[in-house]
Amino acid sequence: MAKASLLLWIPSDTSYLGLVRDVTKKMAEHAGFDSGTADRVALAVDEAATNALEHAYQGATDKEVEVRFEDRGAEFRVDVVDTGQMVDPRAVPRVDLARYVSERRTGGLGVHLMEKIMDSVTFRRSARRNICCLVKRKGSGGTEGA
Amino acid sequence: MSELTVETRDLEDVTLLYPKGFINAHTVRLFETALQKAVDERRFKIVVNCSGLTYIASAGLGAIMGAIEEIRASGGDLRLTELNETVLNIFEILGFDRLYRIFPSEMDAILSFREGMAS
Repeated sequence: MAKASLLLWIPSDTSYLGLVRDVTKKMAEHAGFDSGTADRVALAVDEAATNALEHAYQGATDKEVEVRFEDRGAEFRVDVVDTGQMVDPRAVPRVDLARYVSERRTGGLGVHLMEKIMDSVTFRRSARRNICCLVKRKGSGGTEGA
Repeated sequence: MSELTVETRDLEDVTLLYPKGFINAHTVRLFETALQKAVDERRFKIVVNCSGLTYIASAGLGAIMGAIEEIRASGGDLRLTELNETVLNIFEILGFDRLYRIFPSEMDAILSFREGMAS
């Protein structure tokens, strides 16, 4: 039987992040994840979309973000795609919570959350587009509880 | 329905914040403003009651991170209470449950600020 997939375009405005989260949760639940896991996957996708809006588009609200959902049977995959500036997530420093407090730093938490929640988070640049690919395997508890 | 509201209540020297809705990059400014107002008024004993908070993204966690050093350096603290399972799980994923004191009830959180005074 064919699995569900969905393509969503949103304007590059943070007011649409709630919609992205709601749709992600529904799609994750439809793919078979329990409510708690679907909540966490939705948060990871919220973070990826936020990165696109704030870093790739730098707050410009006249662009679009594409979110592709795909139930691939063994895994649930979400691609978050923007046409903004090239962003190198590897430039984001690793999160050290003690240093974060002492240095009053707040950046990098989103990527850290995404990596903790999903089984795989990859970033690539193709045809002038940034593509953040998030994968959650079914049957895996993920790494968040580890 | 509003995406986020933040009510504030002062109880003697403790300020209580009640975020209701969700905190993400879209709504975080409202939460930051309420938090900063307490700090600006030099009310450094802060309890965030999360009973109405459905979820929090890194933007909200960053807002707390951004304020905590000044709060603690001024002899206060920011403590949390009544987190739902989703929100508590996010705190645990990031290890925030080791950085911030989390209490099951609002009264426990308020009374925790009295602990130091007795000694």
